[in-house]
Amino acid sequence: MSTEAPVLILENLRKTFGSFTAVDGVSLTVPRGSVYGFLGPNGAGKTTTLRMALSIYQPTAGSIRVLGRPSALEVRHRIGYLPEERGLYKKMRARDIIAYFASLKGMPTAAARARADELLERYGLAEFARYRCEALSKGMGQKVQVLATIAHAPEFVILDEPFSGLDPVNQQVLEELIDDLRRAGTTIIFSTHIMEHAERLCDRLVLIARGRAVFDGTLSEARRMIPRRILLRTTGDPDGLRQVPGVVGIERLTDDQFELTLTEDGEPDAVLAACFQNGLPLLAFDRSEPTLRDVFLRLVGPADAVEEVA
Amino acid sequence: MRNTWLVARREFTENVQTKGFWLGVITTPLLLLLAVNAQRWLDSRTPTRAFVVVDPGGLYVEAIDAAIERLHQREVLREFGQYVSKHALRDEAPTALDLEDTPAVDVDKLIEQVSDANPAAVDAFVTKGGVTMALAMIQGRLAADAPPFEEPRRSFVRVPLPDGIDPEASPADVAEALRPWLRGDRTIPLDDRNVDLFAAVVIPPEVIDHVIRPGGMPQPPSTAESVQFWAANLADTDLASEVERAINEAQRREAFAELDVDEATVRAAQGTSVPMVKLNPTKAAGREQVSMADQIRQWAPAGFVYLLWISIFAIASMLLNNTIEEKSNRLVEVLLSSITPWELMTGKLAGIAAAGLTMVSTWLAALVGVLWWQAGPQAEFARSLLEVVTGSGLLPAFLAYFVLGYLLYGSIFLALGSICNTLKEAQNMMQPVMIVMIVPLLTMVFIPKDPNGTLARVMSWIPLYTPFVMMNRAAASPPAVDFYGTSVLLACSVLFTLWLAGRIFSVGILRTGQPPRLVELLHWLTRRDAAS
Repeated sequence: MSTEAPVLILENLRKTFGSFTAVDGVSLTVPRGSVYGFLGPNGAGKTTTLRMALSIYQPTAGSIRVLGRPSALEVRHRIGYLPEERGLYKKMRARDIIAYFASLKGMPTAAARARADELLERYGLAEFARYRCEALSKGMGQKVQVLATIAHAPEFVILDEPFSGLDPVNQQVLEELIDDLRRAGTTIIFSTHIMEHAERLCDRLVLIARGRAVFDGTLSEARRMIPRRILLRTTGDPDGLRQVPGVVGIERLTDDQFELTLTEDGEPDAVLAACFQNGLPLLAFDRSEPTLRDVFLRLVGPADAVEEVA
Repeated sequence: MRNTWLVARREFTENVQTKGFWLGVITTPLLLLLAVNAQRWLDSRTPTRAFVVVDPGGLYVEAIDAAIERLHQREVLREFGQYVSKHALRDEAPTALDLEDTPAVDVDKLIEQVSDANPAAVDAFVTKGGVTMALAMIQGRLAADAPPFEEPRRSFVRVPLPDGIDPEASPADVAEALRPWLRGDRTIPLDDRNVDLFAAVVIPPEVIDHVIRPGGMPQPPSTAESVQFWAANLADTDLASEVERAINEAQRREAFAELDVDEATVRAAQGTSVPMVKLNPTKAAGREQVSMADQIRQWAPAGFVYLLWISIFAIASMLLNNTIEEKSNRLVEVLLSSITPWELMTGKLAGIAAAGLTMVSTWLAALVGVLWWQAGPQAEFARSLLEVVTGSGLLPAFLAYFVLGYLLYGSIFLALGSICNTLKEAQNMMQPVMIVMIVPLLTMVFIPKDPNGTLARVMSWIPLYTPFVMMNRAAASPPAVDFYGTSVLLACSVLFTLWLAGRIFSVGILRTGQPPRLVELLHWLTRRDAAS
């Protein structure tokens, strides 16, 4: 984590639309240089929170600091934003649209054009530079839009569901692009409901459900939110393992399968050592880390999450 | 400011690249050309029309023949005049026409003169040898590349009765027998073709006993006692009126003779008139006479109103479509993370206005071009007309009212576009606006007749109508209170509407789902945090 001032601080942010509360007191801090994941089911308030962070919406209550300013409008040239729903001007050419968005972000027109050409070249779209957007495939159009988002070299990028609708190859390209940005020191927020992406890319993440931030922290902190489990297969009786510090429960799943529940600081290695000491005939010892998916299900609740994670 | 400019520039360049734009640019001059030439083309397409005269008493057939011949010679004379002015060598510059000093033409009088066609002039032309003589006279004064003069086609030709019809039979029987020809079931030979019989003039001999005379008891004449004009075509009345005039002329000549009055004396008496001029008290001393220029100034505003209406409506519609496109594909979110709704809105207003004005300018250029090119001998007149229009102060008024009117309607359309997701939704919302907008088009014709009347004054004070109605009244020097008052009111309304549209736009543009109800809209406007 950097010691510099955080890029984004939200405090007790609320947003109501009529009688409907979309965001209900979200607080979070995005450190400079981090890749920050926004997780949560549909309708949880992710997009609304991001729109408030960008000053597209004014919050009903709460405070915002973006790059040290109370409103993103003052620093919008230093921010890039890719909204969840994609759209390009159908009649505009790929290069022109990238240059146009860059120039709206304050780049001089000529520089914006040069930058558009450079980006299209670097990400393998040079031959499509003169194509009208309506002639591009969906994935291609999405790439163009991502490039338009980062064309002005923003120090802070917000990507709302950047992976949705992309095939695995293009997802890979996008991951590389995010990696490039990270190495260049860009702070990135991206929202997703694909846990694998979050696990691979995020330094920190916030989990939003029903308008509230139910978790905010690092990936390992997230994993520690739920107890660690060990899956044992043995023909013997693992009851003696209860003596190992950190083991809080043993549950028999089938004849020879047992699930051990550990406290947060329980050491799977100690359990394994105890197995050998006790001469327990092990058929299998699976000490898999809890996945983000488990954390998600646990915090959001299966009822909310079923649609998302399925 | 820069963002507004960037948005405006994009809107302009994108819009002028669309097919619709070029279609608009091209079709208008085409339509204009078509409209100008349609009449000429139709005239040239109208066939020579054959008619028969059944006049057993020999009452009027000669008079009719003479009238038809004179009608033709008049055509020849007119064509010849145009031919000469087009192809004659010019030794000196044509005398410049000053519309300011050309007295206003009384249209009715003009029609009378042309239709009666100054019989003396026509007769003189004919007796001097007609076209052949005239051509010989101007020989050597024609341009070398002048095409030979083509005599225009005869409009009407009298043909003999078809074979098999007994001219000795009673007029009623002849008329009955002619029915198949008049209905177009049978044709009659004309030159070496067979043509439809256009009309039949049936003159019962007893008609002479039923001539209507002043002082007599007016009695509705029966068909059998009247000259009958049979024709299936009711629209083309030229022949009917020509025949009627010829018969009446002949009858009157007869009456002169009976009364022992010299016809020439009567004509001389009828030809006298007392000069009368129309003066306008508001004009400078010495130049009070109502001139052609005054009349153009009087009527030109109506043309401008029409142009104003068309252009405002066309451009504002472009704005609506374009806003819905941006909204429906969610581009607007990216835009709003870069610029404010206000910048987006003003940029769109400006950019599309520029595209629209470009289109309107091409229309105007086309109008001027067509006028110039088609006018030929009247080019002088066309040029003077343009000078009058450009010099009259109507153009600045047009521009000012265009800008204000466009901003007013454009912002309304923008706000509408921002709360609709599809064009279909927008069309429903547009209906009331359309009804409101159609009104100035309907009143356009009435207002110049009473430019400072109640209707005109009341409508001027309704900001939605101010641009159109004040433009309409521009020539009639409306009272200062109307001019300045409505201008201020309009300007304030424009600012207010822009502000209102800005609020609706900034909320609506990000909204999806059902368009808001009116109550909700009011809510957006009144709540402080609603606008975002």
